[in-house]
Amino acid sequence: MTKINVNGRDIEVDPKQPLIRACHDHGVDVPMYCYHPGLTPVGSCRICQVEVAAAPGQPARVVAACRTPVSEGMVVSTDTPKAHETRRECLEFLLKNHPLDCPICDKAGECDLQDYTFNEGQARGRSSEARRKLQKRKSLGDVIVLDEERCILCSRCVRFYADVVKKPQLTVEGLGSRSVINTFMDKPLTGNYQGNLADICPVGALTSKKFRFQARVWNLSKSLSTCAECSRGCSITVEALRGKEVKRFRPRANEAINKWWMCDVGRHALAPVSLPLAPEGSALGGRLRAACIRGYNGLEPAELHEALAVAADLVAAHPRPLLVLSPFATQEEAGAALELARALGSRVCFVAPEPNGMKDELLHTGDPCPNRRGLSQLGCEALSPSAVIEALKGARSALLVGERVLETVGCDALGALPSALRLVVFDVVARDLAALDACIAVPTHVEKQGHWINVDGHKGVLNVAVSAPQGVRMLDASLHALLQMVRATPAKA
Amino acid sequence: MVVVQRKELTLLERLYLPEVVRGLSITFRKFFEKPITRQYPEQPLPKDAVTRGQPRLVVKDDGNIACVACGMCEVACPAYAITIDGGETDRGIEREPKRFDIDMLRCILCGFCEEACPKDAIFMSDELELADFSRAALLYDIEKLKRPKSTLQKRIDYVYKLNNRWRRAP
Repeated sequence: MTKINVNGRDIEVDPKQPLIRACHDHGVDVPMYCYHPGLTPVGSCRICQVEVAAAPGQPARVVAACRTPVSEGMVVSTDTPKAHETRRECLEFLLKNHPLDCPICDKAGECDLQDYTFNEGQARGRSSEARRKLQKRKSLGDVIVLDEERCILCSRCVRFYADVVKKPQLTVEGLGSRSVINTFMDKPLTGNYQGNLADICPVGALTSKKFRFQARVWNLSKSLSTCAECSRGCSITVEALRGKEVKRFRPRANEAINKWWMCDVGRHALAPVSLPLAPEGSALGGRLRAACIRGYNGLEPAELHEALAVAADLVAAHPRPLLVLSPFATQEEAGAALELARALGSRVCFVAPEPNGMKDELLHTGDPCPNRRGLSQLGCEALSPSAVIEALKGARSALLVGERVLETVGCDALGALPSALRLVVFDVVARDLAALDACIAVPTHVEKQGHWINVDGHKGVLNVAVSAPQGVRMLDASLHALLQMVRATPAKA
Repeated sequence: MVVVQRKELTLLERLYLPEVVRGLSITFRKFFEKPITRQYPEQPLPKDAVTRGQPRLVVKDDGNIACVACGMCEVACPAYAITIDGGETDRGIEREPKRFDIDMLRCILCGFCEEACPKDAIFMSDELELADFSRAALLYDIEKLKRPKSTLQKRIDYVYKLNNRWRRAP
């Protein structure tokens, strides 16, 4: 470790990291546009300039903190008038051609340029020349749209493709004031990591097409969560508009799992968490409210306790039901399910769909079970959907438990099962299957607390980002209630 | 403890009747003076540019709304009366409000929205009357809030004059 002095405070820092990282790690704020902890520093924006002296008493120079390695005994001051003055001058040049788009810009509210201008900049521009006019809405593929006027040419996006994805697709085209970001040969961007460009862009030049103008970022309530799309379990932030409607998933820095990135598949997986509710008085055609049971006219909405009573009756009539867990079940839910299985004496397995061929070198594992490792550790047996169907064919009764369990097993295959089998399902959406006796609503993964274990054994937390619809009870609570009912009515031997 | 000291009354005051006559003479004199009260609502109140009535959205001369759904008024509103959802438009400004609701029952006519607006899109009109038979009818949506710029021009000029020191000379 190297000892340096920052703003009169002695700190110990990693000699391999640049000075700006050392400052950030010790709570000293140094602004940055071109620097990103996950990318090679280039020192092009010059906004991170600080005053550095080689040793106490030595003359101080202004240097870019992102390109300066730390050295023993270095004296750094980020707050001197000279450092502020230098940064303010850089900022003025960056703002020279930056349009006054903040009211329209999607980045407003989380924009580094806006924040630092607010802290440091002057309220009025001194130049009388017109700002440059460039393309405002340039599509770069299906995910990203580029606003050339807003770009400050930090080249983070260029380096993202060069350093992280390792397949360069973007470049700075043209010279001097005519420089713009462009793809090679004007081809649209490809690959599964385009969405990250909107996150790393320090201004609003690269914005996400899906999120474009959907919400102002200060209206989004943010909660820590984990991505559900593969077994990597990237750490994400779930952002919901006014705490109600999930609007986007963004990666959250986690050095152990996903660094600063996430893939577009996970980023755009909003459909499963924004299903509309089923119409009032109906069990089908949307998210299930509370529960439903089979009546004379097919599936009818019911109270939770009525559906649980049907489940208790089923396991009393046909003991030792097969218990099939969803791959999205959390450790806590799986624990409750295992307790129930012990009381019923039944076999527990979880649906593990085949790898979906999305695997790549960076993050995506291709395995669509976010909690495969956790469920296996708890002693659940991983069965492919076809194996689950085979196991169900031999059973008299079964409980299918967890978010999206019907979908992962396959509704067509479940519909073709022999009618001797009776099913009770705990799922988000009910399906009109001949074998289905009752369905109990469960929350989606953005509506509950819990954790998953990812492919490398790291824990991924889930938190309540939006509240579950009225009447939907947490899955582990429903399973505990069923367990109480089962214990109260012993199975007929 | 408060000790109330009563005024010593003069003989004339103690006689009572002369004082009653004096009081009634003031009453009868007022019958023949110009009244200072106003017969509202038959006689409307005088309105000026300083009148801070209900907020209204400016419709520009080209027929488009000036609002770009930036959400500044929504943030500034101390009564949480405003709700805005934006959306994309083909016009040059790229974004426009798809939903712009002001709950008039919440609005306290403070004028913060007018002050916060960076696009001169919301102004306090001189409309003051607000009464209806249901609460839902007073949740104003974008169509109810639109006003042509000409009807708000007096207020716009006044606000420009008021804020002139913050603005660049035209």
